[in-house]
Amino acid sequence: MAKHLIISTATELVRIVPQHIVYFSSDGNYTTMMQIDGETRVLTSLLGNIEKRIEKQLGNEGKAFVRLGKSLIINSSYIYYINPAKQKLKLSDAATFCHELPASKEALKQLKEYIEKEAE
Amino acid sequence: MRKFTDLDSIGDDEIRIIGDRKINKLRDNRWIIGIVAVLIIGLVVLIVSISKDDSQPTNESKASSPSKATVVAEPTSEDVAEEPRVERLGSEVTDTERGYCERRDTTINDVPLRLFIPHNARASLHLGKLNKADTTIIYTAQAADVRADNGGIVGAFVLRGEPLAWGLSKRGYCAIIDDVVTVGVADNSPLFERATETEGYFFRQYPLVDNGVLVDNAPKGKTIRRALCDRKGEIFMVESLSAESFHDFAQTLVDLGCDNAIYLVGSSAYGWAVDEEGLKHEFGEANYYTGRRRAPKNITYIVWRR
Repeated sequence: MAKHLIISTATELVRIVPQHIVYFSSDGNYTTMMQIDGETRVLTSLLGNIEKRIEKQLGNEGKAFVRLGKSLIINSSYIYYINPAKQKLKLSDAATFCHELPASKEALKQLKEYIEKEAE
Repeated sequence: MRKFTDLDSIGDDEIRIIGDRKINKLRDNRWIIGIVAVLIIGLVVLIVSISKDDSQPTNESKASSPSKATVVAEPTSEDVAEEPRVERLGSEVTDTERGYCERRDTTINDVPLRLFIPHNARASLHLGKLNKADTTIIYTAQAADVRADNGGIVGAFVLRGEPLAWGLSKRGYCAIIDDVVTVGVADNSPLFERATETEGYFFRQYPLVDNGVLVDNAPKGKTIRRALCDRKGEIFMVESLSAESFHDFAQTLVDLGCDNAIYLVGSSAYGWAVDEEGLKHEFGEANYYTGRRRAPKNITYIVWRR
């Protein structure tokens, strides 16, 4: 059975398989989770706490997720396009969704290098 | 109230592979490579200095052989500091070739750039609307800024020896005297007076690079940037092909090896270049000043004519 990521707070619980998550974005004290079905869920948790949960619960599988600066955690499986010069990052499954996200040039440059290195 | 300490543990310019705890691993690798490189260089310098000491006669050996003639050692390659050869960015062309503007595209720091290198052409300044049909022009771009309130030229400006504007609003300057283009950064430049005495040209713009050092400017925001550059005496123009901040653009010029560079009007400002085949390549918006938007009377251009 596939591992699930469980995000539980005092008021709610979200249980989702990692492959269904496209990215998390920080919104102050909240975090927005974008799912592959297009649904967004606002979680009452800091992005840093989400990151800790991913690491603790998913272990090695958590490597699919990349913290990108202060405001993003992306599922690297859905990286479709990176252009550091134009500060463009697109996450897509090339079929049902395509999200363009903002990130710094340097972070995108590092992400590009990481993906290239992973491909070697 | 919850603290944001966990968010502060990573910068906006960093990435972290979750589950791997490789915080900024790529950047760390660079540091390691840098440290290793420094150690290797240090080791090489140490070996060279030791070998030099060994080759020089010691006081003791001099004393033991006073009758020996002094041998003047021939200068070795280490003694003579070889002037590093700086490659020109533009092609080598003969004086007899018809003037044109060489276009070269490159990328520095992930910033796509287009270089415009004039060959066999003379620079001058032009005031007012340009004749687009003028076939002698091989490159032109807007030079000085124009004030939005009264339409006056921003900063000192000399047109064929005639001073049309005074004042220091921007420290960068370009002087064209006896067909020699000088790009520099200074509060006061004697070249302003020289331009008035020799039917020369002079204008001011934002400084970008001063003797190889980046100059920061106050305006923020990103747009297409243009610059007039001097790199080891080679004068050329640069245009960013993506919207850039002043700082990032100036940094690319520093990394390009420019000694001095000043800004040229960027964004939608119109201009063109004519290549070796005689093809005209326009940039900016040719029809920007149409309808209710009228071109300023004091619009100025730097023009290269063959």
